[in-house]
Amino acid sequence: MSSIAQMISNLEDENVVAEVQKQLDSGVNPLDIFKECQAGMVEVGNKFSCGEYFVSDLMMAGAIFKEVGDLITPYLKGQGGASAGKVVVGTVFGDIHDIGKDLVVAMLSAANFEVIDVGVDAKPEAFINALKENPDATVLGLSCLLTTCYDSLKETIDAVTEAGLREKVKIMIGGGPVDQGVVEYSGADRFGRDAQDAVTVCKELMGS
Amino acid sequence: MMPSKLFLEKAAKIEKTINFENDSPTTCYMGGATPPEHMGMTIAEFANNPDKAVDTTIAYMNEINKLAPLDCVNVANGGFINVILTTLWLSRIKMPGRELPENSLWQVDEKKVMADEDYDLVINQGYPALQQKILPTVLDMKELGAFMEYNQKFGQINAEKYIEAGYPNVNAGAFSPPFEILCGARSMSQFFMDCYKIPEKVKAAQDAMMPSIIENMLNVVKASGGKACWVGGWRGASALVSPKIWDKLVWPYMKEMGMALIENGIRPCFHLDQNWDRDMERFLEIPEKMSIVNLDGMTDMRRARKILGEHTALMGDVPPQLLATGTPEQVYDYVTRLINDIGFKGLFVTPGCDAPANAKFENMVAMFKAAKEYK
Repeated sequence: MSSIAQMISNLEDENVVAEVQKQLDSGVNPLDIFKECQAGMVEVGNKFSCGEYFVSDLMMAGAIFKEVGDLITPYLKGQGGASAGKVVVGTVFGDIHDIGKDLVVAMLSAANFEVIDVGVDAKPEAFINALKENPDATVLGLSCLLTTCYDSLKETIDAVTEAGLREKVKIMIGGGPVDQGVVEYSGADRFGRDAQDAVTVCKELMGS
Repeated sequence: MMPSKLFLEKAAKIEKTINFENDSPTTCYMGGATPPEHMGMTIAEFANNPDKAVDTTIAYMNEINKLAPLDCVNVANGGFINVILTTLWLSRIKMPGRELPENSLWQVDEKKVMADEDYDLVINQGYPALQQKILPTVLDMKELGAFMEYNQKFGQINAEKYIEAGYPNVNAGAFSPPFEILCGARSMSQFFMDCYKIPEKVKAAQDAMMPSIIENMLNVVKASGGKACWVGGWRGASALVSPKIWDKLVWPYMKEMGMALIENGIRPCFHLDQNWDRDMERFLEIPEKMSIVNLDGMTDMRRARKILGEHTALMGDVPPQLLATGTPEQVYDYVTRLINDIGFKGLFVTPGCDAPANAKFENMVAMFKAAKEYK
C-alpha cells in the first residue's frame, strides 16, 4: 500500500494532507493520487468490516477523504476515473436525520460511486425528480431513522413504481430501525446494516 | 397518599429484580410516544400538553394492564419532552404541531451550536456557564420556566397519579454523561472529529462538567425520592466509537455517574442505545446487584447475560421495529425465547429503548402477556 493510502487507513489526517499537497506540488498525476486515497478508504472499510474500526473511525476517514478530495479536485481539470455507477440518496419525508445518510454518501463517494444527494425530509417527488434528471442512476438509497417513517419509505417506493421507474432502479434502504422486515414492508430490494455495508449492497445491486 | 398493597408489592418487585430475587419476569412499560395514536389524539396534542401526556399515558397503560398486567414503568411520562431532551443533548428539539406536522414524532435538530472556543468556557468556568450560553439558542427560556413551574405545582400530583394507578416508576430521572451532551452541542460529526484532533481538550471539558452534572443528578433524584436513575449512553456506544475514545471519554464518566448514584443509595440504570457488545464486560466494574443495564435490541442480550451473570439486572429488549411492523405472535415468540435463553431472574421485560409511536397496541399487549404467562 502507498504512503497516502496507508496514512488514510491509519487516520493520519495532518500527515496525509501534507503528503497529498507535496505530491500535487511536485507534479504527480492528481488522478493517481486520488486513486491512492480511494485505496486508503477501501482499507478503512475493510477494517470496519472486520471490527477493527468503528463508526467514529469511518467518520474521521470520511472527513480526511473530503479534505484531500477538495485539495485534489482543482488539479483534476475535468479528468476523472470511470465511475462505479450513479446512486440517488436521501432521507425520506418526515425524517430530518442526516448523519447516517451523510456517512453513506461519504463511503459511496470514496468507493467511486457518483452520488446525487437529495437531502433530508425529502418528499417522494424529490427522489423521482432526481431519478428523472439522472437516468443513468441505477440504485436509489433511502435513509430512515424513525419507525414512524416506514410509511414514508413505502410511499416513496410506491411513487417510484407509479412513475414507471421501478424497473430501472434497485432500491436499498438503511437506518437504525431498518431490517429485513422493513424491506418486505416497504417493497425495497435490500437493506444495509451500516455505511460500509451500503457500499457492498450497492455494488451487488449494480452487479459489479 | 397511602399507596395500595399491590403498588407496594410491585415496588418491592423492582428491588427484587435488581437483586435477582424476582419469582417471575417483571413487566416494565416504556413508550413515551406510543399512547396518542391508540387513544385517538395527535402526537402534537399529546406532546405539547403535559397534563394530557400524563393522563393519556396512564389511561393507555390501564388498557394494556387489563390484558397483560404491568409491574412498573421505566420512566414515567411527565410532559415537556422537548425541555428534557434539550437538557440531555443541548440540541434544539423540533416538535409536532410547531416545527413539524401534527402527527410527526419530535426530533433532535442536530446542529453545531457550541463554538470551538466554548471548550475553554467550560474548562475555565464550568458547565453552568456553557448551559447559560447555549440553552437560550436551542430552547425558548419561557418554556424552561414553564417546565420548572409546572413541576413545582404538579410534579407530586403527577407522581401520585402513577401511584394511584398502581405503577411504580423505576427511574426518577434521566441524565447524560458529558460525552453525550458535548456530542449534541457540537453535532456528532464535529464532536467525533474533536475526539480525534483535540482529545485532551475534550477530556478537560468533560472533567470540568462532571461536578455540576453529578450534583444536579443527585438533587433531582433525591428530591423525587427515586430509587433509580437513567445514565444515558447513545452516541458513546461501542459500535460508534473506537476503543481509545470509549476508554478515555465515555466509560470513565458513565462509571463515575453510576458510582455517585450508588454511594447515595440510588441504582444506576444504564440506558444503552445501539450496540455495546464490545464493552459489556466493563459493566462488571459496577458493584454487584446494584445496577440495571437497559438494552434496545441492538446489543446481544443473551451474550450480555452470559458475561454479566447475576451481577447486573437486564432490561429490554423488544425491538421497536418488531413492535411497529410485527404480529402479536412474533412479539410473543420473541419475548418467550428471550426469557427461555436468559432466564427471568433479574429481568425487566420492556421495549428496546422506547416503544415507537406506531407500535401496535396488540403487540404491546403481546410483549407483556408473554412475560406474564411465562412458565
